[in-house]
Amino acid sequence: MSALRGITLPKLLATGALLLFGAIFAYPEFLTIITSLKTQDSVLEAPLALPSQVTFEAYTTTWNVLQYGTLLWNSILYAALGAGFALILAIYPAYTFSRFRFLGARAIFMLLLTTQMLPQETALIPLYDALTKLGLLNTRLGLILIHAAWGMPLQILLLTGFLANQPRELEDAARIDGATERQILRYVVLPLAAPAMAVGFLLNFVGIWKEFIFAITFLNSEAVYPVTIGIMKFSNSRYFTSFTLPAAAVVISQIPLVLLFLLTHRWLARGIYAGAVK
Amino acid sequence: MRDANLAREQWRELLRRRDVFGFGILLPVAIYVLFVGYPVVYTLYLSFCTWDGFSKVVSFVGLSNYTLLFQDPDFWTALGNTILWTIGTLFFSNVVAFVLAVALRSRLVYFGNFLRILFFLPITMSLVATGLMFSFILTPAFGALWTIAQALGFANGPDLLGEPSTALYTLIVVFGWSYIGIPLMLYDAGLTQIPEELYEAARLDGASPLQQMRLVTFPMLRPIFMVVTVLATIEALRAFDLVLVMTRGGPGHASDTLGYFMWVESFHQRHFGYGAAISIVLLVLSSAFSLAYIRRSGRDALGGGG
Repeated sequence: MSALRGITLPKLLATGALLLFGAIFAYPEFLTIITSLKTQDSVLEAPLALPSQVTFEAYTTTWNVLQYGTLLWNSILYAALGAGFALILAIYPAYTFSRFRFLGARAIFMLLLTTQMLPQETALIPLYDALTKLGLLNTRLGLILIHAAWGMPLQILLLTGFLANQPRELEDAARIDGATERQILRYVVLPLAAPAMAVGFLLNFVGIWKEFIFAITFLNSEAVYPVTIGIMKFSNSRYFTSFTLPAAAVVISQIPLVLLFLLTHRWLARGIYAGAVK
Repeated sequence: MRDANLAREQWRELLRRRDVFGFGILLPVAIYVLFVGYPVVYTLYLSFCTWDGFSKVVSFVGLSNYTLLFQDPDFWTALGNTILWTIGTLFFSNVVAFVLAVALRSRLVYFGNFLRILFFLPITMSLVATGLMFSFILTPAFGALWTIAQALGFANGPDLLGEPSTALYTLIVVFGWSYIGIPLMLYDAGLTQIPEELYEAARLDGASPLQQMRLVTFPMLRPIFMVVTVLATIEALRAFDLVLVMTRGGPGHASDTLGYFMWVESFHQRHFGYGAAISIVLLVLSSAFSLAYIRRSGRDALGGGG
């Protein structure tokens, strides 16, 4: 009895309403997953039914048609190297902003914040031109550099916010012991900042993984396409000839981020919060 | 005078520490200038020129791109759609996500943690994947929505993406679906940081739940409302991915947005000057929204000095 004492009518109604909304909200996803596990014939016969016989045919076909291995590898390269370079580039500027006061610091900091808010569309044409001139159009390196440059401001902001709130006793002690500024950074500051750096890297990684407009503008050959461009192959018509293949493509594209999200969502939430509110 | 000396001294101090301020600063600055700063400035310059993207000839034409733009009915359609898109996104981020966040944290609801993760999940999907998924769900005749409509007794289902009157709104709802997790996450983080004592005090003073909401929750979450508003506005203004994947701006120009219009004008029509002018309109719109936020954040982060 006592376990049921807390259950009241308002609670049941509120929970019921939210569960219903949640079910409708999640239904497209659910439908996509069951569609990906059926054959095309059984989809046409009964689009909404659960698969009578689970088959992974759509997955193997999609994997081969899209060369999904290459797509995933490219996406991992762009996201890991783009976010990684952005992080490395962010370390010294963040340290400078958090430890030194100088004229113009605020102006530069605001400029960075502004960039973080800039629509990417604003820089698209000159970037296209610059990449062409540098011979980096349609190359992995070109896209990685651009992602690094555009990811850097966010990482600088997050890391500066974190470092500014760190106590400085340890650094001062190291300075008295004769450590150079670079040694202090490497052996004292950075190890303590590892969690903040991980959050910045993760947010940036997710952003690049989902990114579309840079990739579709600066790349034009299948060998260098990331997942977001690769799965576009299935969007050429509003009238789909197959449902199972795009469904499988969507599910595969989501798996890496779902895993990442389930493992790190507390960190990610904190990072998004810190990046936005600080 | 003293300030100038101090500033000079601070800068000299910075430059003397070459171990910190050598490559470590120069490289980020160089990359930033090359890939972020210069492109934005050059876009402004290009918006006063005509250029086909291939030839070396970039001819200066003054304001004519802008006068053409403001006479172009397609521009006004795209601008109107972008504004509708922003209003719709703000409804999802400031109303729906807020109500969900409060409900899921309240003691009224079971399975709060489970449901929260459910609403976060679309964040793990790129907009391309989201668009692809909804495209085949909304496909006429064979799609899931059509099947559901037929099961409910309609002879024909709706062709939401094929009708000029519904295409844009469908995209906006899909965008809301995919975006809602971010504001939900922010409100949730904010709600957990409101001290319980404030509610207790309000209750002791006889405040009803609605009054507690008005007197405690709203004031405490004000900074988050501001952040959510700015972020959602900017995300909505740059709307591009879903339009390209789901409708290509169609039918006709019914679901054109500024971002998509700019992209087509530049990279399909190769009117790069015209496209640049559209980008600048986009830039002006998003700066108007972000400026207040940026000034506040800059002050907070660096403690007012500098």
